[in-house]
Amino acid sequence: MERTGAAAADSGSAQGISPPAAVRSRWGRGLPWTPPRAVIAYAAVGLCWFVVAGRALSLVRDAALRDELWTAQGVAFVLLSAALLLELVRRARRGLLGLGTEVRAAVESMLDGVLVVDGGEVVEANRAAVELLGAGGKDELLGDLELFVARFQPRTTEGSPLPASELPIARALRGERVTQELAVRRGDGQEVVLSVAAAPVVGQGARGLVVIVFRDVSAAHRLESMRDEFLATAAHELKTPLAVVKAYAQLVQRRAPAEAPALAVVERQVDRMTRLVQHLLDASRLRLDPGAGPTERFDLAGLAAEVVEGVRRAATRHDLQLRAPAPALVQGDRERVARVLRSLLDNAVRFSPRGGPVVTSVELGGGEVVVSVADQGLGIPEDRQARIFERYYRAHAGTADDYGGLGLSLDTSREIVSRHGGRIWFESTPGRGSTFRFSLPAAQGAGA
Amino acid sequence: MSRSVLVVEDDLDLVGLMEMVLTDAGYEVRTAGDGRRALERVTEGMPGLVLLDMRMPVMNGWEFAREFRSRYGRACPIVVVTAAENAQLRAAEIEAEGWLAKPFELDDVLRLVARFLPERGAAPPA
Repeated sequence: MERTGAAAADSGSAQGISPPAAVRSRWGRGLPWTPPRAVIAYAAVGLCWFVVAGRALSLVRDAALRDELWTAQGVAFVLLSAALLLELVRRARRGLLGLGTEVRAAVESMLDGVLVVDGGEVVEANRAAVELLGAGGKDELLGDLELFVARFQPRTTEGSPLPASELPIARALRGERVTQELAVRRGDGQEVVLSVAAAPVVGQGARGLVVIVFRDVSAAHRLESMRDEFLATAAHELKTPLAVVKAYAQLVQRRAPAEAPALAVVERQVDRMTRLVQHLLDASRLRLDPGAGPTERFDLAGLAAEVVEGVRRAATRHDLQLRAPAPALVQGDRERVARVLRSLLDNAVRFSPRGGPVVTSVELGGGEVVVSVADQGLGIPEDRQARIFERYYRAHAGTADDYGGLGLSLDTSREIVSRHGGRIWFESTPGRGSTFRFSLPAAQGAGA
Repeated sequence: MSRSVLVVEDDLDLVGLMEMVLTDAGYEVRTAGDGRRALERVTEGMPGLVLLDMRMPVMNGWEFAREFRSRYGRACPIVVVTAAENAQLRAAEIEAEGWLAKPFELDDVLRLVARFLPERGAAPPA
């Protein structure tokens, strides 16, 4: 049944994409009689009239009668052409008025606010603009642009003031097309965040004209700040107790060295908990935040050295080696890339329970930097290899080699790497170990 | 420079620990549970180093740093000690001289403090 349904849907969509009957653009077709065409037609008809009338009247022998008839046909021509012109003007006027009314009604009915600025003046505003800016009426919005800006105090969404030259209106007047989020104080004093798009009007006689379209995105913005606040609070609340426990374990270890083995367990478990909290926070942030984090140019070889050194402290039974012969510059979020590498190293250590070498290499070539982490541990069962990048999937779950974890780190790593324009992949032989690799584009001008 | 450390932190257990560890290491330690109290401590005498938590009640780390810098400029270095996801970024936001992510190693705390407050007669930090 499902297949039939799908087939029907397919044929439906195939019909849907067949070209529709041609519909001419309603606002683009212009007036039925454009002035040059009307003038040429008028001149041609007039010329014919006089030639034909002249010929016909020459047949009349009576000179007095001929003069009278000549005058009469002249008067008739004037009357007829006046009627013709009147009809032409009437039609043109009706067409123009109809077009104007329709365009105006469409702009007035838009749910987004629209402002039109001519040089230094706001010259038009639609109903939505009046409502979104909390003004009493359209008249309050029209007039001097500086007064308009002073009244609504546009600022960045962080609240810092924007120089007048950086406002979307000013930039559009310089010919730029701009989309920007701005905080604005409405006419009724309420603070809102608007998504503003401003562009110069292109077309005949539109010099110095700018159109601004905006909508209220306060709700989405509030949600975004709440999300950031929540994640920051979660990080603080979850990690602070761990920090306290860890620090006290270290303090007791210093003061009572005999208890060192027991306290080392406390510390190790705190580190494990910290890592899990971090994975949860990373995964939440990545899911909730579709954008890229802060980017900077950094040396991946240097970063690898730092991360390897950090993991070395915890992995005393493993031989952590680093092969990074040359600096390898990339562009991106250093903290997140460090998380990827730390996750791969943590996994390599965790799934090599008998210890052994874990080799991290950083190589630059072909416009990209490839980082690999190779262990000689358990490897991944062949029938589970295809799924290991799935969120929550744990390749060793339910086996004797289940060393814990949430099944988030590889999914998070893949997400981070792909947001940096890179790839992540692996090779693994059960019983002989795994090698995970990820690549990032080399920074421009880094040189191979 | 004074060998005193001002620990600004709202978690009393952590404050107690810092006090013990740093006192053991020979530093003079003063503590404050929030930014406002920390400013009061500073008026009693400029510390050699401020270890600053960021999320605190009454006056948080950002507000403290802004107020401290506007009153005293760079009279003493500030090291951010935070559980935030990106400690380095938080430190950059307030132009702090150093940072330490929670949970931390005690050795790292001592190393960091020693870098800013070298023993008398020892070479200043590079």
